Amino acid sequence: MSDITYLKRLFQAYYQEEQKTFPQVSSFNLREFGFIPWEKKVYMKRHVKFEHPKELSDYLLRDTPRHLYSSGSVYLVPDAREMENKNYQGCDLIIDIDVDHFYTPCKEKHDLWYCKECDAEGTGMPEKCPECKKSKFSKLNWVCDDCLNIAKNEIKKLIYNFLIPDFGISEEDMRIAFSGHRGYHLKVESEELRILNSDERREIVDYLTGDNISFDLLGLIDKTGVIHGLLKENLGWSQKIMRKVEELLHKPKTEIEKMLLDENQFGFKQNYATSFLNYKDDFLELITKGERNVWAIEGFGLTMWKKFLKEIVKQVGIELDEPVSIDIHRLIRYPGSLHGKTGFKVQEISLKELEDFNPLDEVNEKLDPIVFTSKKNLTRKLEITENTIPMTKIKGVEYGPYSKGEIIDVPHHIAVFLLCKEVAKSI
Amino acid sequence: MKNEVIGALSISNELINRYPWLPSLKTIYKDIGEKPPTEFISEIFSNNNSFQIANRVLKIFEAAFNNMEEISDYTIDNLNVHVYLLLKIILYALNNKVITNRAANLYSKNAYNDMERENSISNIYDICHDLDLKINFYDPPEPFGLKIIKDNREKLKANFSIHYIDYLKLASNLRDEYRKLTNNTLINGHVFVQNKTLIRLIQEYVRNKLLSEETDDKASLKSFIKEASKIQGFKVLYDKIFSLWEKRKEEFDFTFKLDIGSKEKMVLLLPPCVIEILKKAEEGQNLVHHERLYIVWLLLALEYPVEYVVNIFSTLPDFDREKTTYQVEYAKRKNYTPYQCSTLKSLGLCMADKYKDELCLTGYGSQDPSERKKLKHPLGYVRIKKYRSDRGEEYQKYLAKRELEESEKPNE
Repeated sequence: MSDITYLKRLFQAYYQEEQKTFPQVSSFNLREFGFIPWEKKVYMKRHVKFEHPKELSDYLLRDTPRHLYSSGSVYLVPDAREMENKNYQGCDLIIDIDVDHFYTPCKEKHDLWYCKECDAEGTGMPEKCPECKKSKFSKLNWVCDDCLNIAKNEIKKLIYNFLIPDFGISEEDMRIAFSGHRGYHLKVESEELRILNSDERREIVDYLTGDNISFDLLGLIDKTGVIHGLLKENLGWSQKIMRKVEELLHKPKTEIEKMLLDENQFGFKQNYATSFLNYKDDFLELITKGERNVWAIEGFGLTMWKKFLKEIVKQVGIELDEPVSIDIHRLIRYPGSLHGKTGFKVQEISLKELEDFNPLDEVNEKLDPIVFTSKKNLTRKLEITENTIPMTKIKGVEYGPYSKGEIIDVPHHIAVFLLCKEVAKSI
Repeated sequence: MKNEVIGALSISNELINRYPWLPSLKTIYKDIGEKPPTEFISEIFSNNNSFQIANRVLKIFEAAFNNMEEISDYTIDNLNVHVYLLLKIILYALNNKVITNRAANLYSKNAYNDMERENSISNIYDICHDLDLKINFYDPPEPFGLKIIKDNREKLKANFSIHYIDYLKLASNLRDEYRKLTNNTLINGHVFVQNKTLIRLIQEYVRNKLLSEETDDKASLKSFIKEASKIQGFKVLYDKIFSLWEKRKEEFDFTFKLDIGSKEKMVLLLPPCVIEILKKAEEGQNLVHHERLYIVWLLLALEYPVEYVVNIFSTLPDFDREKTTYQVEYAKRKNYTPYQCSTLKSLGLCMADKYKDELCLTGYGSQDPSERKKLKHPLGYVRIKKYRSDRGEEYQKYLAKRELEESEKPNE
C-alpha cells in the first residue's frame, strides 16, 4: 500500500469515527466548500455546497480529501462557479495568525531553506538568498512549541487588547481554532460585521496591525525644533504605544540596548542606542508624570522618533495574514477536519480553554489535535527522504534530527506527521 | 453621563423640513411618499407654490453647474420637502452621472453647513437616530484625550461616539488619513467623533442618497420622461436645466474627449487604480485629497503635460483652473514620487480586486506562482505593460504557453 493510500485510509477512519460529533459551521447550507484531494495532479475543488451535514460526512467518507475548507462568506448559491453568480450575502470576519508569515527566533533552528539558484542552504526565513541574492527557495517549515506559543500570544493579544476592549466584540461571537499546523484562526460571526466590504475590512486590519498609522495625527510634531510626542492619556493607539514604551523603559539597560541594536527590532546604530540609554530615565519620568510633553533625546529628530515608534507599533500590533481578513471569498480550514500536511486536527477551542491549550502536548483528550496517537503503542518504520529533518518534539518526546537515508522506527502519530510532511517514506 | 435616549423617538416635522433626506420623511409625509412620481409632479405643478419650488430646484442646478460651494437663497421651510423630492426626480430623469455627482456634492455640502449651524446638539442626535446610526451621546462631553503643547493643556472631549461599523460604512469613501480607524479613538466598539466629523459623515450619507438616483433601466426612464413631460411645468423646468447643462457642458467636453489615448494609447498601460480615478473624474465625482495627489504625481511621472493633467480635474465640482494649474505646476517642480502599492492599499485606492487585474493580483516574472514577483509600485505596472505591449505577439504566445503549463501543473 502506498503512503498516500495509507494516509487516506487513516483520514477516512478518523472521519468515520467522528461523523456523529463532527462540528457544523453556522449557516451550513449557505457556505461554499472546497477540498484538496490526495492526488497530486488535481487542483483544489471549489464551489461545492451541502444542504445537510450528513452530505458532507458522506463525502468525507467517500472521497476523503487531504484538506477540507469552507467559506467565510455565505451565499444563496454557494455552488455557482462564478463569484458573481453566487449571490453573496455577507462574510464573517476571519483572522489568520500563522507563523509562516512572520519572524520567530525559533525558525533559525528549524526552518530550512535551499537556494535553487546557487545550491546554498541554511536556516531561518531570509527573503533573498544571502549568497546569490535571488529568491528561488525550496523551504522546509517545521513546527515547535516556541512558534506555537508565539502564535497563541498573538491571538491572545488580538482578543484581549483589540477585539474585546476596542471593537467591543463579545466572546460568544468568536470562534477560535488551532489551524492544524503553525497557527490559529479566529472567526467573528456576527450579522453586523458580515456587511463590511473589502475596503472596510482593510481598515480593521490596519487598526489591528497598526499599519499606516499616522504619528503626526497621534500628536508627534516638531514645533520650531522642539519635539512634542504622544500621550498615554489619549485613548486608542496612542495609549497602546505609550504603555509599550513605558514597559520598554522599565527593562534593564542591557536588555534595552540589545533590543535597540537588534536588526529584527529597532535596528539602531550604536550612537543612537547610547544616546537613548543616556536619556532613558528622564524620558521615563517625563511620560510617567505626564506634566510636559517634550521628547528630548540628543540626536533624535522626527525621523528617529518615527523609527522608534514604528517598532513599538510592530510590537503592539497583531501579526496577521492580511489578505485572509480582507478577501471576502476566501476559504478557511473546516473545524474538526485534518490538516493534510501534518495529520493534526483543526481543533476548535473556547476562549477559556485557550490559555492552557498546548497543541503539541495537550493533556485534555477532547482538545488534543494529535488524533493518531496509538493506544497500543504501535510504531512504523520509515526511511528519511529529505536531506535534513529538524528535531520534532511532540507529546514531550523529542524525535530527530534526522538525515537522508536514515531508517527510523517511530510511534504512529510521528510517522503520520512525517509522512504528511512528505519527508519520509514507509519501508 | 452617557445618554442614548435623549430626544424624541419620532422626529419633528420641523427637522424633516430642514433635512428632507431623513428616512422619517416617508412616515411623516406619508401622503406624498406613497404617490407615484408623476402624480406627485402633477400635484406640485398645480399648486400655488409651483413657481417657487421649481425656481429653487433650478437654483440648485445653477449653483452645481457653476462650481458653487453653497446654494444661494437656500430657504428652510415647508416647501423644502417638495424641493428635495423634485430634485431627486429631476436627477433620475436626467440620469447623467456628471450632473448627479455635481448636484449631490453641492446639496450634501449644503446639508453639512445647515447641520453645522444647528444650535441644538440634540437635533444632531435625532438625525443620527433617524438614520439608524448606533451612537452614544454624552452630556457633558466625554473626555477621550489630552493635548499638551508647551504649558497649554487641552482636554479632548466629544459629545458623540459612533459604532465602528456605521463609521466605516460612512467614512469608507473619505480616504483622508485622519479618518482612518487607526488614527481615531475606538473604545468598546465606538469611535469618538467631534461634532464636525459626525456631521461630515452624515454629509456623506446625503451625497450617497442622491447618487442612488442613477438608473440602468433605460426603458422605464424613457417611459417616465414621456409621461412626466405631459405636465407642462415639469417639462419647462426639465428643459431649462437641460439647456443650462448643454451650455455648461462644453466647458467639460474636452475632458470627455481626453481619453488619455493621444499619448501612445497610454490608457491601456495604466493600472486599475489610475483608471478608477480617471473614471470618477470623467463622471464628475468628487475626488478626495489622496486621489488628487496620486493622479497628479503619477501622470506627471509619466511625463503628461501639465495642461493635460489640469483638464482631468475640470469636471470636478470645485474646479478652479487657475488654482489647479498652479498646484500641478508646483507638483511638477517638486517632482514627487507617486504612492506605492502598499500605500494605495492602505488608502483604499488599490483597485486590483475590483478590476481583477492579473498583473496586480498575480505579479510578474516566473511561471511558478510561488516565485513570481509582486508589484510594488504603479509605475512598475506601466513599465511591465509597456514591455509586454512592445513584445506584442511574441508575448501572447508566451502567455498561451504559460497557461497550458499552469493547467497541467500538479497540485502542491
